[in-house]
Amino acid sequence: MASAGESGDGADGKGVTTITIISSDNEAFEVLEAAASMSLTIRHLIEDGCADGGIPLPNVTAGILAKVLEYCSKHVAAVAASSEAGSSSNAADAAAAPEKEEDLASFDKAFIDVEQDTLYDLLMAANYLEVKGLLDLACQKVADMIKGKTPDAIRQTFKIKNDFSPEQEEKIREENQWAFE
Amino acid sequence: MGAGASDLAGMELGKVARAGLGELPDLCAAEVLLHLDAPDICRLARLNLAFRGAAAADFVWEAKLPKNYSYLLGFVAGAEEGERSDMGKKDIYARLAKPVPFDDGKREFWLEKSTGSISMALSSKALVITGIDDRRYWVQMPTTESRFHSVAFLQQIWWFEVVGEVDFCFPAGTYSLYFRLHLGKSSTRFGRRICSSERIHGWDRKPVRFQFSTSDGQHALSQCYLDEPGSWILYHVGDFVASNSEQPIKLKFSLAQIDCTHTKGGLCVDSVLIYPKGFEPERVIRAQK
Repeated sequence: MASAGESGDGADGKGVTTITIISSDNEAFEVLEAAASMSLTIRHLIEDGCADGGIPLPNVTAGILAKVLEYCSKHVAAVAASSEAGSSSNAADAAAAPEKEEDLASFDKAFIDVEQDTLYDLLMAANYLEVKGLLDLACQKVADMIKGKTPDAIRQTFKIKNDFSPEQEEKIREENQWAFE
Repeated sequence: MGAGASDLAGMELGKVARAGLGELPDLCAAEVLLHLDAPDICRLARLNLAFRGAAAADFVWEAKLPKNYSYLLGFVAGAEEGERSDMGKKDIYARLAKPVPFDDGKREFWLEKSTGSISMALSSKALVITGIDDRRYWVQMPTTESRFHSVAFLQQIWWFEVVGEVDFCFPAGTYSLYFRLHLGKSSTRFGRRICSSERIHGWDRKPVRFQFSTSDGQHALSQCYLDEPGSWILYHVGDFVASNSEQPIKLKFSLAQIDCTHTKGGLCVDSVLIYPKGFEPERVIRAQK
Protein backbone atom coordinates (compact mmCIF):
# COMPACT_ATOMS: atom_id res chain seq x y z
CA MET A 1 0.00 0.00 0.00
CA ALA A 2 1.37 3.37 -0.93
CA SER A 3 2.15 5.55 2.06
CA ALA A 4 2.88 9.22 1.49
CA GLY A 5 1.21 9.00 -1.86
CA GLU A 6 -1.43 10.19 -4.21
CA SER A 7 -0.91 13.89 -4.41
CA GLY A 8 -4.15 14.56 -6.16
CA ASP A 9 -4.80 18.02 -7.49
CA GLY A 10 -8.32 19.17 -7.07
CA ALA A 11 -9.87 21.76 -9.32
CA ASP A 12 -8.63 24.51 -7.00
CA GLY A 13 -5.03 23.25 -7.22
CA LYS A 14 -4.91 22.01 -3.62
CA GLY A 15 -2.75 18.88 -3.07
CA VAL A 16 -4.20 16.09 -0.99
CA THR A 17 -1.59 13.90 0.67
CA THR A 18 -2.46 10.84 2.66
CA ILE A 19 -0.42 9.01 5.24
CA THR A 20 -0.63 5.41 6.42
CA ILE A 21 -0.59 4.72 10.12
CA ILE A 22 -0.18 1.17 11.42
CA SER A 23 -1.59 0.11 14.80
CA SER A 24 0.18 -2.17 17.28
CA ASP A 25 -1.98 -5.06 16.06
CA ASN A 26 -0.97 -4.44 12.47
CA GLU A 27 -4.02 -2.71 11.07
CA ALA A 28 -3.30 0.04 8.56
CA PHE A 29 -5.23 3.30 8.43
CA GLU A 30 -4.99 5.78 5.60
CA VAL A 31 -5.68 9.37 6.57
CA LEU A 32 -5.10 12.86 5.29
CA GLU A 33 -1.65 14.12 6.22
CA ALA A 34 -3.28 17.21 7.67
CA ALA A 35 -5.38 15.07 10.02
CA ALA A 36 -2.45 12.85 11.03
CA SER A 37 -0.38 15.96 11.70
CA MET A 38 -2.70 16.93 14.52
CA SER A 39 -0.54 14.45 16.39
CA LEU A 40 2.75 16.20 17.07
CA THR A 41 4.42 12.82 17.42
CA ILE A 42 3.29 11.79 13.93
CA ARG A 43 4.03 15.23 12.49
CA HIS A 44 7.65 15.00 13.64
CA LEU A 45 7.99 11.53 12.16
CA ILE A 46 6.66 12.83 8.83
CA GLU A 47 9.02 15.79 8.93
CA ASP A 48 11.93 13.48 9.68
CA GLY A 49 11.06 11.51 6.57
CA CYS A 50 10.00 8.40 8.45
CA ALA A 51 6.60 8.11 6.81
CA ASP A 52 7.62 5.82 3.96
CA GLY A 53 5.97 2.45 4.22
CA GLY A 54 3.63 3.72 6.86
CA ILE A 55 4.13 4.92 10.41
CA PRO A 56 4.01 2.12 12.98
CA LEU A 57 2.59 2.90 16.42
CA PRO A 58 3.55 0.06 18.76
CA ASN A 59 1.62 1.60 21.66
CA VAL A 60 -1.79 2.10 20.10
CA THR A 61 -4.26 -0.64 19.21
CA ALA A 62 -6.48 -0.47 16.14
CA GLY A 63 -9.68 0.32 18.05
CA ILE A 64 -8.21 3.34 19.80
CA LEU A 65 -6.21 4.48 16.78
CA ALA A 66 -9.41 4.50 14.74
CA LYS A 67 -11.04 6.77 17.29
CA VAL A 68 -8.06 9.11 17.53
CA LEU A 69 -7.93 9.43 13.74
CA GLU A 70 -11.69 10.03 13.66
CA TYR A 71 -11.19 12.92 16.12
CA CYS A 72 -8.33 14.36 14.07
CA SER A 73 -10.15 14.07 10.76
CA LYS A 74 -13.25 15.76 12.14
CA HIS A 75 -11.28 18.60 13.67
CA VAL A 76 -9.09 19.16 10.62
CA ALA A 77 -12.20 19.30 8.43
CA ALA A 78 -13.76 21.84 10.81
CA VAL A 79 -10.67 24.06 10.71
CA ALA A 80 -10.63 23.91 6.91
CA ALA A 81 -14.33 24.75 6.72
CA SER A 82 -14.03 27.72 9.05
CA SER A 83 -11.03 29.17 7.23
CA GLU A 84 -12.97 28.81 4.00
CA ALA A 85 -15.89 30.58 5.59
CA GLY A 86 -13.53 33.25 6.90
CA SER A 87 -12.08 33.99 3.49
CA SER A 88 -15.42 33.67 1.78
CA SER A 89 -17.34 36.81 1.03
CA ASN A 90 -20.52 34.82 1.30
CA ALA A 91 -22.61 36.09 4.19
CA ALA A 92 -24.31 32.73 4.59
CA ASP A 93 -20.94 31.08 5.16
CA ALA A 94 -20.01 33.61 7.81
CA ALA A 95 -23.37 33.21 9.51
CA ALA A 96 -22.93 29.44 9.60
CA ALA A 97 -19.64 29.70 11.53
CA PRO A 98 -21.01 29.71 15.09
CA GLU A 99 -23.35 26.88 14.15
CA LYS A 100 -20.37 24.84 12.95
CA GLU A 101 -18.62 25.53 16.26
CA GLU A 102 -21.65 24.15 18.05
CA ASP A 103 -21.55 21.06 15.78
CA LEU A 104 -17.95 20.49 16.75
CA ALA A 105 -18.77 20.90 20.42
CA SER A 106 -21.60 18.34 20.13
CA PHE A 107 -19.29 16.01 18.28
CA ASP A 108 -16.68 16.31 21.04
CA LYS A 109 -19.26 15.74 23.74
CA ALA A 110 -20.61 12.58 22.10
CA PHE A 111 -17.12 11.43 21.13
CA ILE A 112 -15.80 11.44 24.69
CA ASP A 113 -18.91 9.88 26.20
CA VAL A 114 -17.32 6.44 26.46
CA GLU A 115 -16.66 3.77 29.05
CA GLN A 116 -13.87 4.25 31.54
CA ASP A 117 -11.59 1.72 29.87
CA THR A 118 -11.91 3.48 26.52
CA LEU A 119 -11.51 6.88 28.17
CA TYR A 120 -8.29 5.69 29.78
CA ASP A 121 -6.99 4.36 26.46
CA LEU A 122 -7.91 7.58 24.65
CA LEU A 123 -6.20 9.68 27.30
CA MET A 124 -3.04 7.61 27.13
CA ALA A 125 -3.04 7.62 23.31
CA ALA A 126 -3.65 11.38 23.14
CA ASN A 127 -0.77 11.88 25.54
CA TYR A 128 1.60 9.58 23.66
CA LEU A 129 0.63 10.96 20.26
CA GLU A 130 0.55 14.54 21.56
CA VAL A 131 -2.88 15.46 20.24
CA LYS A 132 -3.48 18.45 22.49
CA GLY A 133 -7.18 18.96 21.75
CA LEU A 134 -8.01 15.33 22.45
CA LEU A 135 -5.85 15.24 25.58
CA ASP A 136 -7.67 18.32 26.93
CA LEU A 137 -11.03 16.78 26.04
CA ALA A 138 -10.24 13.49 27.78
CA CYS A 139 -8.72 15.17 30.84
CA GLN A 140 -11.71 17.48 31.17
CA LYS A 141 -14.01 14.44 31.01
CA VAL A 142 -12.08 12.72 33.79
CA ALA A 143 -12.06 15.97 35.78
CA ASP A 144 -15.84 16.22 35.39
CA MET A 145 -16.15 12.71 36.83
CA ILE A 146 -14.12 13.82 39.83
CA LYS A 147 -15.49 17.30 40.57
CA GLY A 148 -17.21 17.69 43.89
CA LYS A 149 -16.97 14.03 44.85
CA THR A 150 -15.63 12.85 48.18
CA PRO A 151 -12.43 10.76 48.14
CA ASP A 152 -14.44 7.62 48.90
CA ALA A 153 -16.84 8.26 46.04
CA ILE A 154 -13.92 8.85 43.68
CA ARG A 155 -12.30 5.60 44.79
CA GLN A 156 -15.51 3.77 44.00
CA THR A 157 -15.93 5.36 40.58
CA PHE A 158 -12.41 4.55 39.48
CA LYS A 159 -11.90 1.42 41.57
CA ILE A 160 -8.85 2.86 43.31
CA LYS A 161 -7.41 1.12 46.31
CA ASN A 162 -6.54 3.14 49.37
CA ASP A 163 -2.91 2.28 50.02
CA PHE A 164 -2.40 4.60 53.00
CA SER A 165 -1.90 3.49 56.57
CA PRO A 166 -4.35 5.11 59.03
CA GLU A 167 -1.56 7.36 60.32
CA GLN A 168 -0.61 8.42 56.80
CA GLU A 169 -4.24 9.04 55.98
CA GLU A 170 -4.67 11.30 58.98
CA LYS A 171 -1.48 13.20 58.15
CA ILE A 172 -2.60 13.75 54.57
CA ARG A 173 -6.05 14.86 55.64
CA GLU A 174 -4.45 17.45 57.91
CA GLU A 175 -2.02 18.74 55.33
CA ASN A 176 -4.86 19.32 52.86
CA GLN A 177 -7.35 20.75 55.32
CA TRP A 178 -6.50 24.34 54.34
CA ALA A 179 -8.43 23.92 51.10
CA PHE A 180 -11.69 23.37 52.98
CA GLU A 181 -11.51 26.01 55.65
CA MET B 1 2.76 5.61 38.55
CA GLY B 2 3.64 3.37 35.64
CA ALA B 3 4.34 -0.33 35.97
CA GLY B 4 5.02 -1.07 39.57
CA ALA B 5 3.61 -2.00 42.91
CA SER B 6 0.80 0.50 42.69
CA ASP B 7 -0.62 -1.22 39.58
CA LEU B 8 -0.90 -4.48 41.49
CA ALA B 9 -2.86 -2.93 44.29
CA GLY B 10 -6.42 -4.18 44.23
CA MET B 11 -5.85 -6.77 41.49
CA GLU B 12 -6.91 -10.35 41.97
CA LEU B 13 -4.32 -13.02 41.25
CA GLY B 14 -4.91 -14.78 37.97
CA LYS B 15 -6.92 -11.94 36.42
CA VAL B 16 -5.42 -10.08 33.48
CA ALA B 17 -4.06 -6.71 34.54
CA ARG B 18 -6.18 -4.00 32.97
CA ALA B 19 -4.93 -0.54 33.72
CA GLY B 20 -7.65 1.99 34.41
CA LEU B 21 -8.06 5.63 35.27
CA GLY B 22 -6.83 4.83 38.74
CA GLU B 23 -3.46 3.94 37.30
CA LEU B 24 -2.67 6.94 35.15
CA PRO B 25 1.01 7.70 34.83
CA ASP B 26 2.04 10.72 36.91
CA LEU B 27 2.14 13.12 33.98
CA CYS B 28 -1.32 12.12 32.78
CA ALA B 29 -2.77 12.38 36.26
CA ALA B 30 -1.23 15.83 36.51
CA GLU B 31 -2.84 16.80 33.18
CA VAL B 32 -6.24 15.89 34.63
CA LEU B 33 -5.47 17.92 37.74
CA LEU B 34 -4.93 21.02 35.59
CA HIS B 35 -8.69 20.89 34.94
CA LEU B 36 -9.65 20.81 38.62
CA ASP B 37 -9.79 23.52 41.27
CA ALA B 38 -7.72 23.54 44.46
CA PRO B 39 -10.29 21.90 46.76
CA ASP B 40 -10.85 19.04 44.29
CA ILE B 41 -7.09 18.51 43.89
CA CYS B 42 -6.71 18.35 47.66
CA ARG B 43 -9.49 15.77 47.83
CA LEU B 44 -7.65 13.69 45.23
CA ALA B 45 -4.46 13.86 47.26
CA ARG B 46 -6.23 11.70 49.82
CA LEU B 47 -6.98 8.85 47.39
CA ASN B 48 -3.72 6.94 47.29
CA LEU B 49 0.03 7.42 47.18
CA ALA B 50 0.13 7.91 43.44
CA PHE B 51 -2.53 10.64 43.37
CA ARG B 52 -0.98 12.29 46.36
CA GLY B 53 2.24 12.57 44.37
CA ALA B 54 0.49 13.96 41.31
CA ALA B 55 -1.50 16.39 43.48
CA ALA B 56 1.75 17.81 44.85
CA ALA B 57 3.27 18.45 41.41
CA ASP B 58 4.69 21.94 41.10
CA PHE B 59 3.45 22.47 37.57
CA VAL B 60 -0.15 21.81 38.58
CA TRP B 61 -0.04 24.53 41.25
CA GLU B 62 2.09 26.93 39.23
CA ALA B 63 -0.75 27.00 36.70
CA LYS B 64 -3.14 28.01 39.48
CA LEU B 65 -1.02 30.64 41.18
CA PRO B 66 -1.35 34.29 40.13
CA LYS B 67 1.51 35.33 37.85
CA ASN B 68 2.97 37.65 40.48
CA TYR B 69 2.95 35.15 43.34
CA SER B 70 6.55 36.03 44.27
CA TYR B 71 5.53 39.63 44.84
CA LEU B 72 2.51 38.51 46.89
CA LEU B 73 4.66 36.12 48.92
CA GLY B 74 6.85 39.08 49.80
CA PHE B 75 4.08 40.34 52.09
CA VAL B 76 4.03 37.15 54.12
CA ALA B 77 5.75 37.81 57.43
CA GLY B 78 8.43 35.31 58.25
CA ALA B 79 8.80 34.02 54.70
CA GLU B 80 12.51 34.76 54.34
CA GLU B 81 14.22 34.54 50.94
CA GLY B 82 15.69 31.13 51.68
CA GLU B 83 12.44 29.72 52.99
CA ARG B 84 10.56 31.01 49.99
CA SER B 85 12.77 29.21 47.51
CA ASP B 86 12.19 25.96 49.43
CA MET B 87 8.42 26.25 49.31
CA GLY B 88 6.69 24.00 46.81
CA LYS B 89 4.10 25.69 44.66
CA LYS B 90 1.30 23.92 46.52
CA ASP B 91 2.60 25.31 49.82
CA ILE B 92 2.71 28.78 48.31
CA TYR B 93 -0.89 28.44 47.16
CA ALA B 94 -1.96 27.22 50.60
CA ARG B 95 -0.15 30.09 52.32
CA LEU B 96 -1.64 32.76 50.05
CA ALA B 97 -5.11 31.24 50.52
CA LYS B 98 -4.93 32.36 54.15
CA PRO B 99 -5.35 36.11 54.72
CA VAL B 100 -2.00 37.90 54.43
CA PRO B 101 -2.01 40.99 56.64
CA PHE B 102 0.03 44.07 55.80
CA ASP B 103 0.17 47.76 56.64
CA ASP B 104 0.41 46.88 60.30
CA GLY B 105 -2.58 44.58 60.13
CA LYS B 106 -4.88 47.31 58.82
CA ARG B 107 -5.15 45.61 55.44
CA GLU B 108 -5.09 42.07 54.19
CA PHE B 109 -5.35 40.12 50.96
CA TRP B 110 -5.94 36.47 50.19
CA LEU B 111 -6.32 34.02 47.33
CA GLU B 112 -9.85 32.76 46.68
CA LYS B 113 -9.28 28.99 46.96
CA SER B 114 -11.44 27.85 44.09
CA THR B 115 -10.50 30.44 41.51
CA GLY B 116 -7.00 31.57 42.47
CA SER B 117 -7.98 35.24 42.23
CA ILE B 118 -6.93 37.82 44.77
CA SER B 119 -9.29 39.68 47.09
CA MET B 120 -8.34 42.49 49.44
CA ALA B 121 -9.86 44.16 52.50
CA LEU B 122 -8.95 47.52 54.04
CA SER B 123 -10.12 48.09 57.61
CA SER B 124 -11.66 51.38 58.69
CA LYS B 125 -8.28 52.11 60.29
CA ALA B 126 -6.67 52.11 56.86
CA LEU B 127 -9.11 54.76 55.66
CA VAL B 128 -8.97 58.52 56.25
CA ILE B 129 -12.21 59.41 57.98
CA THR B 130 -12.96 63.07 58.65
CA GLY B 131 -13.39 63.63 62.37
CA ILE B 132 -12.41 60.08 63.34
CA ASP B 133 -10.55 61.26 66.42
CA ASP B 134 -13.45 63.25 67.77
CA ARG B 135 -15.52 61.03 70.03
CA ARG B 136 -18.52 63.30 69.57
CA TYR B 137 -18.62 62.08 66.00
CA TRP B 138 -16.96 58.66 65.66
CA VAL B 139 -16.27 55.75 68.02
CA GLN B 140 -14.45 52.49 67.41
CA MET B 141 -16.77 49.58 68.07
CA PRO B 142 -15.48 46.06 68.64
CA THR B 143 -17.57 43.47 66.81
CA THR B 144 -17.45 39.88 65.63
CA GLU B 145 -19.07 40.91 62.36
CA SER B 146 -15.91 42.41 60.89
CA ARG B 147 -12.84 40.52 59.73
CA PHE B 148 -10.90 43.23 61.54
CA HIS B 149 -12.94 42.78 64.73
CA SER B 150 -13.68 46.47 64.98
CA VAL B 151 -15.67 49.00 62.97
CA ALA B 152 -15.98 52.78 63.01
CA PHE B 153 -19.42 53.85 64.20
CA LEU B 154 -20.72 57.29 63.26
CA GLN B 155 -22.84 58.89 65.93
CA GLN B 156 -23.48 62.12 64.13
CA ILE B 157 -21.60 64.53 61.91
CA TRP B 158 -22.22 67.22 59.30
CA TRP B 159 -19.22 66.48 57.14
CA PHE B 160 -19.24 62.78 56.37
CA GLU B 161 -16.27 61.76 54.28
CA VAL B 162 -14.27 58.53 54.07
CA VAL B 163 -11.27 58.40 51.76
CA GLY B 164 -8.83 55.62 50.92
CA GLU B 165 -5.92 54.68 48.70
CA VAL B 166 -4.39 51.44 47.53
CA ASP B 167 -1.10 50.95 45.70
CA PHE B 168 -0.68 47.33 44.71
CA CYS B 169 0.21 44.93 41.92
CA PHE B 170 -3.06 43.14 41.29
CA PRO B 171 -2.89 39.98 39.17
CA ALA B 172 -4.30 40.84 35.75
CA GLY B 173 -8.09 40.82 35.73
CA THR B 174 -11.20 42.85 36.50
CA TYR B 175 -12.07 43.82 40.04
CA SER B 176 -14.92 45.55 41.85
CA LEU B 177 -14.47 47.88 44.83
CA TYR B 178 -17.06 48.16 47.61
CA PHE B 179 -17.62 49.97 50.90
CA ARG B 180 -18.97 47.56 53.50
CA LEU B 181 -21.50 49.54 55.53
CA HIS B 182 -24.24 48.89 58.06
CA LEU B 183 -27.00 51.26 59.12
CA GLY B 184 -27.59 50.86 62.83
CA LYS B 185 -25.71 49.15 65.60
CA SER B 186 -25.94 45.43 66.11
CA SER B 187 -25.36 43.42 69.24
CA THR B 188 -26.05 39.95 70.51
CA ARG B 189 -28.40 39.36 73.39
CA PHE B 190 -29.20 35.84 74.57
CA GLY B 191 -27.61 34.44 71.42
CA ARG B 192 -29.81 36.51 69.12
CA ARG B 193 -28.68 39.34 66.90
CA ILE B 194 -30.38 42.59 67.81
CA CYS B 195 -30.23 45.72 65.72
CA SER B 196 -30.65 49.15 67.20
CA SER B 197 -31.69 51.95 64.89
CA GLU B 198 -31.80 54.76 67.43
CA ARG B 199 -29.07 56.89 65.96
CA ILE B 200 -29.90 56.43 62.30
CA HIS B 201 -30.74 59.78 60.75
CA GLY B 202 -30.01 62.08 57.86
CA TRP B 203 -29.46 59.50 55.13
CA ASP B 204 -32.78 60.05 53.46
CA ARG B 205 -32.22 63.77 52.98
CA LYS B 206 -29.50 63.58 50.36
CA PRO B 207 -27.69 60.67 48.69
CA VAL B 208 -24.10 59.78 49.46
CA ARG B 209 -21.57 60.14 46.66
CA PHE B 210 -19.04 57.47 45.66
CA GLN B 211 -15.93 58.41 43.72
CA PHE B 212 -13.23 56.21 42.35
CA SER B 213 -10.18 56.68 40.13
CA THR B 214 -7.05 54.78 39.14
CA SER B 215 -3.55 55.85 38.21
CA ASP B 216 -4.17 54.70 34.64
CA GLY B 217 -7.23 56.79 34.05
CA GLN B 218 -10.13 54.54 34.98
CA HIS B 219 -12.78 56.25 37.08
CA ALA B 220 -16.33 56.07 38.33
CA LEU B 221 -18.75 58.44 40.01
CA SER B 222 -22.12 57.54 41.44
CA GLN B 223 -24.53 58.29 44.23
CA CYS B 224 -27.26 56.57 46.18
CA TYR B 225 -29.28 56.72 49.35
CA LEU B 226 -28.02 54.47 52.11
CA ASP B 227 -30.72 52.05 53.15
CA GLU B 228 -31.60 48.61 54.51
CA PRO B 229 -30.78 49.13 58.19
CA GLY B 230 -29.79 46.02 60.07
CA SER B 231 -27.78 44.37 57.30
CA TRP B 232 -24.23 44.59 56.09
CA ILE B 233 -24.29 45.92 52.56
CA LEU B 234 -21.55 46.09 49.97
CA TYR B 235 -22.00 49.43 48.22
CA HIS B 236 -20.44 49.16 44.78
CA VAL B 237 -18.08 52.02 44.01
CA GLY B 238 -16.64 50.96 40.69
CA ASP B 239 -14.80 48.37 38.64
CA PHE B 240 -11.24 48.50 37.43
CA VAL B 241 -9.06 46.44 35.16
CA ALA B 242 -5.55 45.49 36.20
CA SER B 243 -3.86 44.83 32.88
CA ASN B 244 -0.42 43.81 34.08
CA SER B 245 0.48 41.75 37.15
CA GLU B 246 3.97 43.28 37.18
CA GLN B 247 2.79 46.86 37.32
CA PRO B 248 1.40 48.51 40.45
CA ILE B 249 -1.91 50.27 40.09
CA LYS B 250 -2.89 53.12 42.40
CA LEU B 251 -6.54 53.36 43.41
CA LYS B 252 -8.22 56.32 45.08
CA PHE B 253 -11.77 56.13 46.34
CA SER B 254 -14.12 58.04 48.57
CA LEU B 255 -17.54 58.05 50.10
CA ALA B 256 -19.01 61.39 51.11
CA GLN B 257 -22.07 63.30 52.15
CA ILE B 258 -20.90 66.78 52.97
CA ASP B 259 -24.11 68.76 52.84
CA CYS B 260 -23.75 70.68 56.08
CA THR B 261 -27.39 71.69 56.39
CA HIS B 262 -28.11 68.47 58.23
CA THR B 263 -26.35 65.91 60.35
CA LYS B 264 -26.27 62.22 59.63
CA GLY B 265 -25.38 59.29 61.84
CA GLY B 266 -26.05 55.75 63.00
CA LEU B 267 -23.72 54.19 60.43
CA CYS B 268 -21.04 51.51 60.84
CA VAL B 269 -18.15 51.70 58.41
CA ASP B 270 -16.39 48.35 58.41
CA SER B 271 -14.07 48.21 55.46
CA VAL B 272 -13.37 48.62 51.79
CA LEU B 273 -13.35 45.38 49.84
CA ILE B 274 -11.84 44.60 46.50
CA TYR B 275 -13.20 41.42 44.96
CA PRO B 276 -12.78 39.83 41.55
CA LYS B 277 -15.66 41.14 39.45
CA GLY B 278 -18.71 38.94 39.84
CA PHE B 279 -17.76 37.60 43.27
CA GLU B 280 -20.46 38.89 45.64
CA PRO B 281 -20.46 37.07 48.95
CA GLU B 282 -22.88 39.57 50.52
CA ARG B 283 -25.75 41.80 49.48
CA VAL B 284 -24.58 44.36 46.92
CA ILE B 285 -26.17 47.70 46.16
CA ARG B 286 -25.17 49.51 43.01
CA ALA B 287 -25.44 53.26 43.04
CA GLN B 288 -26.84 55.34 40.20
CA LYS B 289 -24.38 57.04 37.89
